[in-house]
Amino acid sequence: MIWKIAKKEFLLNLMTFKFTVGTILCVILVSVFVPVLAKDYQRRLKGYNENITANEAELRKVMVYTNIQPTVYRPPNILYVFSEGVEKRLGTSAKIGNMVVPEISSSSDEINPYMSMFPNMDVSLILRIVFSALALLVAYNVISGEREQGTLKLILSGTISRHQVLIGKYLAGLMILIVPVTIVFILALIFLLSFPMIELTSSNWSGIVLMYLASLIFISAIYNLGLFFSTLMKNSSISLVLGLFAWVIFVAVIPSGSIYLASRISPLESEEKLETQRALAMQEARIKYGKISVPNWGGPKTDARGASGKSYTVLCSSSCLQDRSKAYPLVKSIESSYGDSIWRIELSYIRGLLAQNHLARNIARISPISIYENVMSTFARSDLGSIQDFMDNARAYRNETMEYIRSKSNNFSTYYFTVCSEQDAIFYDQQKEAIKQAKTERERKQAEDVLGQYLNKMKKKLTVLNLDDFPRFSYRPNLTGNFKRAIPDLILLVFINALLFALSFVAFMRYDVRSD
Amino acid sequence: MIWHIVRKEIMDNFLSLRFMLSLILIISLFAASSFIFVGSYRQQSQDYWEKTNKNISDLSGSLGRLNDLAFFQQQVFRKPKLLSLCAEGYEKSFPNYVNFDIFTIGLPEVRSSVNFTFPHFSDINWVFIISLILSFVAFVFTFDSISGEKEAGTLRLMLANTIPRYNILLGKYIGAILTLCIPFLIGLLVSLIIVITSNVSGINGLQWLKILSIVILSLLYLSLFVFLGVFISSRASRSANCMVTLLLIWVSLVILIPSMGRTVSDIFYKTPTRVELNRKISEANKQIWDNMERYGKNAGNSTADVNDPMMNLPARARLYNALSNTKNQIIDDHHKKMIAQALTGRNYTCLSPTAIYRRATEALAGVGIGRCADFYQQVKRYQENLRAFIHSKDAEDPKSRHLIFDEDVSRGAWDWHTISKKPVDFNIVPKFQERDLVLGQSLKLAIWDIGLLMLFNLVFFAAAYVSFLRYDVR
Repeated sequence: MIWKIAKKEFLLNLMTFKFTVGTILCVILVSVFVPVLAKDYQRRLKGYNENITANEAELRKVMVYTNIQPTVYRPPNILYVFSEGVEKRLGTSAKIGNMVVPEISSSSDEINPYMSMFPNMDVSLILRIVFSALALLVAYNVISGEREQGTLKLILSGTISRHQVLIGKYLAGLMILIVPVTIVFILALIFLLSFPMIELTSSNWSGIVLMYLASLIFISAIYNLGLFFSTLMKNSSISLVLGLFAWVIFVAVIPSGSIYLASRISPLESEEKLETQRALAMQEARIKYGKISVPNWGGPKTDARGASGKSYTVLCSSSCLQDRSKAYPLVKSIESSYGDSIWRIELSYIRGLLAQNHLARNIARISPISIYENVMSTFARSDLGSIQDFMDNARAYRNETMEYIRSKSNNFSTYYFTVCSEQDAIFYDQQKEAIKQAKTERERKQAEDVLGQYLNKMKKKLTVLNLDDFPRFSYRPNLTGNFKRAIPDLILLVFINALLFALSFVAFMRYDVRSD
Repeated sequence: MIWHIVRKEIMDNFLSLRFMLSLILIISLFAASSFIFVGSYRQQSQDYWEKTNKNISDLSGSLGRLNDLAFFQQQVFRKPKLLSLCAEGYEKSFPNYVNFDIFTIGLPEVRSSVNFTFPHFSDINWVFIISLILSFVAFVFTFDSISGEKEAGTLRLMLANTIPRYNILLGKYIGAILTLCIPFLIGLLVSLIIVITSNVSGINGLQWLKILSIVILSLLYLSLFVFLGVFISSRASRSANCMVTLLLIWVSLVILIPSMGRTVSDIFYKTPTRVELNRKISEANKQIWDNMERYGKNAGNSTADVNDPMMNLPARARLYNALSNTKNQIIDDHHKKMIAQALTGRNYTCLSPTAIYRRATEALAGVGIGRCADFYQQVKRYQENLRAFIHSKDAEDPKSRHLIFDEDVSRGAWDWHTISKKPVDFNIVPKFQERDLVLGQSLKLAIWDIGLLMLFNLVFFAAAYVSFLRYDVR
């Protein structure tokens, strides 16, 4: 009997004006958004590939270990077509070095700041706004409408019980709403796959499936909301108005209001304070730097340009060689403690940002639409947690490379900073001595020429470092982590479903079916 | 007779659930938004004055001589506006400060106190409440204005009397507008009272005028939605169907079309990235350096001794001026392109009256992208004034060579005496002050939009009139 009711409702709704218009609207929106977003993805992917190649090319030019300064890049993520989250708002790269620790930052490659007057467009926007409206429109008259027409009386005069009617109505609503959601997802996938550069990996597929399921749960929650209002009111237009008021609050007021409120409740530290702390850390490092008591440590004397725009030393005196190999371990420890303290300062600032964000999201959880948005961005791997996960990976990679450099250069011994061997240095000392001892201008010139030729010969012989065993960065998104992050919100959505259904159940049990 | 209908409409609405709901919702939104606005405005003004005073004190502190003034990098910030209570125009994510000296001016940059982990969001201010919530409420009040009466059977009765149809239509319209005005005006009052009593800043006469014109504009905007609601209501035979149609219209006009700007301008317009901009600047520089002989013999040489024959100071000045002019030109072009891209996107969204309304209120309140562009122009004008001031002061000093160009202080000013090193009185140095537009200018900016809104009103009125005349009341 439940199925009979569900089937009747389903067929009835399929032919309605609202359903047709809503579905057509979604199809149009998907066919506008997805190609534009896919193009944008292609552009970003191209940029990413160029960056990766450039980074690798830099690594192939490295002569001495001090010049290893790779940058890691966050690969663009195709799933942001479905839910953009903070994917484009946060920085996509991290420099790896002794003095910097990777941490989330605002994106520097936003092309045009004035474009921020337009909100992000993605598939989840269609689902969030158009589908939630559609779900309410389908639901608002399922009970009160039948009462108005007088058919509810007829149905209940048979042997069918009230809960069967309600369950039948619920199933019918779900069935009818699955149709446009499925159409949107399939259409989006068709558009995406028609782009040559776009490939979907298995993790992407699983993300898409999860997003699809989450969308169904969300749509069902909104439908239940409409059902509840429909069982609460005797008049179908009043239940529609009530439902729409709730909807407007959920769609428009809460997402902006929660952020607005959160930024007042927990204000941020000012950036000036951050600057002062940074300057202090810098000063401290300078003082320590000045205290290095190694003679002949006046900063590197460089005579060649290497990778990453950094220069290095080809030939130097043996005292310089000795002193600097003593000084470098000290310098490196100062640098890395400086990097750590800067990171700690930034971290405390970013914790403030995250706390504010967290608060805003908690306030926004009043609205199922915001909960759904969280779930979607988590499954699309464009939420804050995914970016943090990337930065965690980048930090681990930094430690790995630092350890590699330290062990390979034998704890920052001479070949950390120079290609000059001890024999070269002895030769250099001899020639310098000869220049000093020279009695005539001609002798001096001769000795200088010898040194110059030697330097040129060395430069010609230079070979790049063999960095085949150098660790390369590869980012593997932590899918289980994402899933775990999404679970509370998902449970909340399911709970809202259950609660609203229970409420409409109670309300329907007490419903006065007589039409006036 | 028409007033009878109006009165009946208003009385009817007063007792309805939807009126209570919208009254509560709108007034509480107005109140909450003003409380939050007061707090954030206070914070922003404090930040602004701190930064501005820092700039001024740095300027006066480092200011001993004319050359210091010329080479000093000033940093000026955009002023927070009291009228962002009414409209905010997404200003908080726009660039808010500019660095410049008298030779070059950078692109405007963003340094905001907004948390970058948040998605872009809009403040809850008057325009937000009016354009989203009140427009929706306008539909809620009108969706059953004609079709509802038909369903109840009262429309037939009414028309059986001697009232002409347009009277009924006007009565319905006026009734709906007046009912709508009640939560709207109470909300406005509450908001203004909160702002005035919190003592953040007084509202001066010009601001009152601007607020008044925003209120009138808002009424124009709301009346359009009332007409549209009545129109759809007199097309539909059942009021529930009418609400469904209105909801879909509302979603498209108010939410979807105004958000399409990014997509549309992505299709039609592309601004170069920062990297491309820098590349362009360095290419232009390289070209100038390659052709440096064009600016005179030995223009590229630089020695400490000015009287060195290898040195040609006037030519070098020309070369450096060419360099900074080219850089300024490129940056200016880039900025214009960025603004044009955003404006193109927004012009396409102006299919929707909501986007038009927002644009008009931004112009009236003096906020938004137009204001940011204007701010940049003002800074540029100030830069020119300052340069003129420096030139005039420099002309008074016989020791200077009067060749003011952008080479670093130690070279230009100290070794070569290209610019006067006389002390200058800080009080007579022009200082930057951002000016608001006067009402006439703001209105001029908004005039097209106001016209468009009126046109929308007329069109929907005509549509409602025609369809009501042909309405089958049975």
